[in-house]
Formats: sequence, structure tokens, C-alpha cells
Amino acid sequence: MPDLPELNPVVHGKLRLALLSLLSTVEEAEFTWLRSKTGSTDGNLGAQLLKLEEAGYVAVEKKFVQRKPQTLYRMTEAGRGALTEYVQALKQLLGGAMTG
Amino acid sequence: MHANPEELELKDRLNLIESMIAEGRRKTESWGWTFVLWGVAYYVAIAWASLGHSNLAWPVTMIAASILMGILISLRAHKDPETTLGRAMAAIWIAMGVSLFTILFALSLSGRFEFHVFVAIVGAFLGCANAGSSIILKWKMQFACAVVWWACAVAACFGSENQVTGVFLVAIFFCQIVFGIYGMMREARKQRQDAAHA
Repeated sequence: MPDLPELNPVVHGKLRLALLSLLSTVEEAEFTWLRSKTGSTDGNLGAQLLKLEEAGYVAVEKKFVQRKPQTLYRMTEAGRGALTEYVQALKQLLGGAMTG
Repeated sequence: MHANPEELELKDRLNLIESMIAEGRRKTESWGWTFVLWGVAYYVAIAWASLGHSNLAWPVTMIAASILMGILISLRAHKDPETTLGRAMAAIWIAMGVSLFTILFALSLSGRFEFHVFVAIVGAFLGCANAGSSIILKWKMQFACAVVWWACAVAACFGSENQVTGVFLVAIFFCQIVFGIYGMMREARKQRQDAAHA
């Protein structure tokens, strides 16, 4: 029986996975857009985004637009790779679970 | 037969990825109204110019339409993030607008502005922008508009002033007003479908 892959714990977190999936569809997104799409609280969202940033999966840019602070998040190449690997591992595990 | 909790959790994660990707792709953008706005602006300019104010009619109407569009876009500003597709579309239309404005402004300054040349240039530029946009969006209806604009540009090279005016008015009606209203209806239907699936 082939070894089943392990799931990346950074990606596996429910909110972090939702964030990476959302960010995979856009070039960059504002904090407020991510909050509205995930329905998360500011504190939890900020904490999970920080974990993704520390893992190198998300890049952050802070700037001012019309004197208002704006925080933009962008998925990095490492983040895209991690999400792709996670999906492949997930499918492999589910395939194993269905045939096992 | 029941799935075990681990399997359910994995399926839940897969569903989450799919639903978030669908959510990220959902857009609230609507651009059909800009076609209608510019179609009306062209009609206003043509009507104004026919009253004998041809030197003022086009530049004033075009600048007014640009300002109005800028104001309406800023009022409708939403928080949708930028996508490569959105940026590609904006690039086509901004590049076309700047090129068109520059060449027509230079022609009027040089005193070489002539109606046939004007329609040929507008037709060619709008044909180019609509074709580029339709190829990116894989939208046959918009490509048909591009063909109409190219036909209008060719007609401007051969027809009399009355014929060219007629062709130009028809092209504006179908490719700006009708196409714009069709685009708005399509966008409204898409948003209703998205809301129903949410």
C-alpha cells in the first residue's frame, strides 16, 4: 500500500484554507474584502493572515489611499504551491479513504 | 455505510476550497452602462455639431462624458479586488481612449479634422478595442460589434457625408446603446443568479 501524504498543517486550518483559496482567485485583496467573504472577526482574520505571512504564503502591503489606510494581501508563489500540494494530498487521501 | 469523521473533515475541506474559489470569482462589476453613456454622448455631439457648433461639440461632449463616467465610477466604487482579467480589460479601453483623444485633439489643432477621417478613426479604434475585449472574454456578441465598427470605418473611406453619417448613427445605436443595454441585462441576470446560489 503506498504511503499516504500528510496534510500541511498551516494550510489545513479552516480559515487559513479559505483565505488561500480566495487569494488564489485574485491578484491582491483588501483586508475588508477577505473579512466580508469569510465572515470572520478582525482579530481572528488578522491572526490567521499573520500565520500565513510568517509561513511565506502571503505577502502584505500597507498603503494609504485617499488618506485612509489600506492593507493588501497577495498570495506568493510558495503559497500557490502549498495550496496546490494540499489539494493533491487531499484528493489522494480521499481516494484512499474511498477505496480503503 | 457511513463515512468516518476524518473522511468527512477532508470532504469538508475540499468543499470549502471550491466554495471560496467560487466566492472569490464572484464580481459585482457592471460595465454595460458605460457603452450606453458613450452612445448617448456620441448622439449629443452629432446633434450639437449638426446645429453648426462642430468646433465645440465633439471636444466638449467627449470631455464632459469622460468626467461624468469618472464620477459615476467613483460613486459606484466597490471593494472587489483587482484581477488579471479586469486589468487586461481596463488596459484595452484606457489605451484606446487615450489614443483616440490624442489623435483627434491633434487633428483638430492642426485644422486637418475632417468628418470622414473622424468616423474612420473612431470606427477603427472602437473595432480594435471591442475585438480585443471580445477575444479575452470569448464573447461573440462583442466581436460582432467590432465587425460593425470596422465596417463603419471602411464605409467612411468610401461613402458620401450623408451615407457615412447614417452608417455612424446605426453603428452607435447597435454597438453602444443596444449592446450596452444587453450587457446591463446580462450583468443583472448574473448577479441575481449569484445571489440565489449564495
